[in-house]
Amino acid sequence: MKLRSSTFGVSIEELQALVAEGLSCGGDWCDLFFEYSAYTSLMLRDSTVSSGGCHEDYGCGIRVLKGEKTGYAYAESTDMAALRKAARSAASIAAGGSPKACGVAHRIEGAQNFYPVGRDWRDVESAAVIPWLQRIESEIRRRESRTLKVIASFSCDMSEVLMFNSLGELTEDLRPMGSLAVTAIFSNGKKVINNNASRSYRAGAEMLSERVVGELVDEVVRGIDEAFEARRPRGGKMIVVMGAGASGILLHEAMGHAFEADFNRKGQSVFCERMGQRICRSGINIVDDGCLPGNRGACNFDDEGVPGQKTYMVTDGVLTSFLHDRISAAWYGVAPTGNGRRESFRYNPIPRMRATYMENGSDGSVEDLIASVRKGIYVDRFSNGQVKIGEGDFTFFVKSGRLIENGRLTAPVSDINIIGNGPKALADIRAVASDLKIDESQWTCGKEQSAPVSCGIPSVLVENLTVGGGQ
Amino acid sequence: MITAEDKALLRWCIDTILAQGAEAARVTLNRSVEELVATLDGEVDKVTRCEDSSLSLEIFIAQRFGSFSTNRTEREPLERFIRKAVEMAKTMEPDPLRKLPEAGRKAGDATTGLEAGLYDARQEKVLPAQRVEKALEASVRGKAELPEGMLLLSEEGEYSDSLNDNLVMDSEGLVCCHTETSFDYGVEITVADAEGRKYSGYAWDSSSRADALDAPACGRRALERACARRDSAALPGGKYTMVVDSEVAGKLVSPLLAALSGYSLQQGNSFLDGSLGQKLFAEGMTLVDLPREQGLQGAKYFDSEGVATRNAPIIENGVVKQYFLNTYMAGKMAMAPTVESSTKVKMMPWPQSGPEQARDRAALLRRCRSGILVTDFNGGNCNPATGDFSYGIEGFLFEDGVTVRPVDGMLITGNMKTLWQQFFAAADDARLCLSKLIPTLAFNSVDFSGE
Repeated sequence: MKLRSSTFGVSIEELQALVAEGLSCGGDWCDLFFEYSAYTSLMLRDSTVSSGGCHEDYGCGIRVLKGEKTGYAYAESTDMAALRKAARSAASIAAGGSPKACGVAHRIEGAQNFYPVGRDWRDVESAAVIPWLQRIESEIRRRESRTLKVIASFSCDMSEVLMFNSLGELTEDLRPMGSLAVTAIFSNGKKVINNNASRSYRAGAEMLSERVVGELVDEVVRGIDEAFEARRPRGGKMIVVMGAGASGILLHEAMGHAFEADFNRKGQSVFCERMGQRICRSGINIVDDGCLPGNRGACNFDDEGVPGQKTYMVTDGVLTSFLHDRISAAWYGVAPTGNGRRESFRYNPIPRMRATYMENGSDGSVEDLIASVRKGIYVDRFSNGQVKIGEGDFTFFVKSGRLIENGRLTAPVSDINIIGNGPKALADIRAVASDLKIDESQWTCGKEQSAPVSCGIPSVLVENLTVGGGQ
Repeated sequence: MITAEDKALLRWCIDTILAQGAEAARVTLNRSVEELVATLDGEVDKVTRCEDSSLSLEIFIAQRFGSFSTNRTEREPLERFIRKAVEMAKTMEPDPLRKLPEAGRKAGDATTGLEAGLYDARQEKVLPAQRVEKALEASVRGKAELPEGMLLLSEEGEYSDSLNDNLVMDSEGLVCCHTETSFDYGVEITVADAEGRKYSGYAWDSSSRADALDAPACGRRALERACARRDSAALPGGKYTMVVDSEVAGKLVSPLLAALSGYSLQQGNSFLDGSLGQKLFAEGMTLVDLPREQGLQGAKYFDSEGVATRNAPIIENGVVKQYFLNTYMAGKMAMAPTVESSTKVKMMPWPQSGPEQARDRAALLRRCRSGILVTDFNGGNCNPATGDFSYGIEGFLFEDGVTVRPVDGMLITGNMKTLWQQFFAAADDARLCLSKLIPTLAFNSVDFSGE
């Protein structure tokens, strides 16, 4: 068997020798994670693309497990002496045991390539991207005369990954990522506001398209009049209707993190003793999916070499699975769910979300949900969120929305934080529309390490969330 | 420690860049070694060794600019990378404002890396077994007594020590070195009450000196914090006096510093646009930058351009005294350059004397009589263009100067400019290990949303 990639300059025999070194002190498991990442960025500011650059990162992380305990080290080189040193360092977690053998090398294939590359980013000159950034700016200025400034940025990344473990499993993956982001500043002479939008895909340069540019421009100029008029609502507990798409941040913060199996294995999560129990109304399905083609959270393999898969965390309102890496899966006696992810070779993998969303409900449209509310708030744009795992208290920041009064959208609101409790919020979802949308913005999860993710949701009605505002 | 070989490597990079036709270049080497021991419930859970090096190249060519980085420092791949970088820099649009800082602004007194007094040679002598010992000695499992009815569910601790080197050189002869050691311990404890409700507490300590780290105190503090959350609940919304604990008060200063950055100001994306010289905040608000305070963790004699930092006021008696303008942003704004960003910000106590002076949190609570003490923030954001903010909080209701019940599930909402006009007192209890030295603060009449 031969490696497909020559990037790392190692042979199968050398991989086996490194694993043997990692297991030399009695470790139960050893895996190697080679990564070469080439990243390019460009920024348009003040109508010129006068800054940009490329960045590369190269190395190999070596992990040794003894039970649930981890030894981890890495080398920023694939020189065998450096790798052996890292392997010995990682092996020390198991000091005192007898060596184990590495399995016979064999390749693991994924079910499908979820991110075929049409046009490799490594073949794209930066000069070919600059017109796209200029186009975004000119379109925004054409559509909105109150535009003060536009900052448009582009980044792309091609990561080659090679994984090998003590079972002899070999996986190779080529991971593309392309992102466009824009922030625009608008002024009406009295007030300055900003708006931003982004799109990010596991795809090659074919992601640069009229459709993507059109969506970005639409999103940035949409609702400017309302944004100039937006006020803070009166704060307090109220019904919140969350629009389809980016409102999936609710699932990510309020539930997704608490379903990550490391928090549950350690007894920290608010859901750790609720497996198999009903946690929300019947009909609600919440999934974490690594199999959405081209999605920012897609994984042909996770970073432990487990093939990408779709995991139902909540099935018909019942908690049915946590999100596992190999450590937690072994601890719970279940199969890994393909959620062992890491920021780079510098980090050991931990359970992380991929694309987290709720499947469609049957409670009509978003208009039906709004019409059912006498007094509340509608939200559809967000920036960031956070959760306290033990308590289950989560927050997310709303960039824009509207008050709901007597079943109708009224005054625009902006810049408010919403706070709730995960289990309570799940139980308080009273209606789910049938308009599921996966948000394609540049979401990044920051649990200990950065990881690209995405989220989605149909419009939902949640009771009893606390909305920030004046008193 | 920075070696002659490191300087030779950067000199070679600069020469290689110039040989490709560039007019100027700045090259930065960051290198670190970190050893970490994580514990779970009083047992070693993870050991990690991290050795990093990163080269950043800033290339100025034909009035064009590019910024590049790689962690491959072998000459052959590095030369290939430099050729590619120069070619890419040439494709940027021209911008005559991209240039190196004037010679007179550059630091000339950071030649060994030891000038800031932040290197402890003991870091390189710590043995693996000693790290394990330090990580385990901080554990409270089985050592500390819990309040009746409380159960310790989980204790995750992490000890690490590291050595960090930073070397900046440019094509006009700049050589700046900074070396810093760090000894850190953090712990998160989760407890449950008799009803199974969970509460967590976190504590962290850090020092550039091995003997100044107090890891066992972190364990005790995290446990106390977790247990103190028992039966926490939201209060009715309303206007309250707000006291913000020194552990988290920096959260309310960060939006001000971001708004004073040239990157925000020049784009009109700053609620402090046009504020230089203006009195916008309460009289007692004085914020200074102390990058040259020897031995103060985080101090540094130069910024990312190699420009000499200086101890200087940022806001003095409520008046904005400084924007953060690097060479490029200063050129764009037709203003005199300062430094890229703040380095080690300190908020001065207020009042500094007299009967209303409160040295610490307890004294400030007594002075304020009643209100909400904020001990942690839970998410939220501040709009950089308007200064409108909304943050989740947790803490305690206090009455007659003492805390009476834990509070969570509440939000504070307002505008940064208004909030800092409502500021009326700062204690003198800033923690030296935090990136910003902000003491416990007090604000009048803040909007809290809750039940």
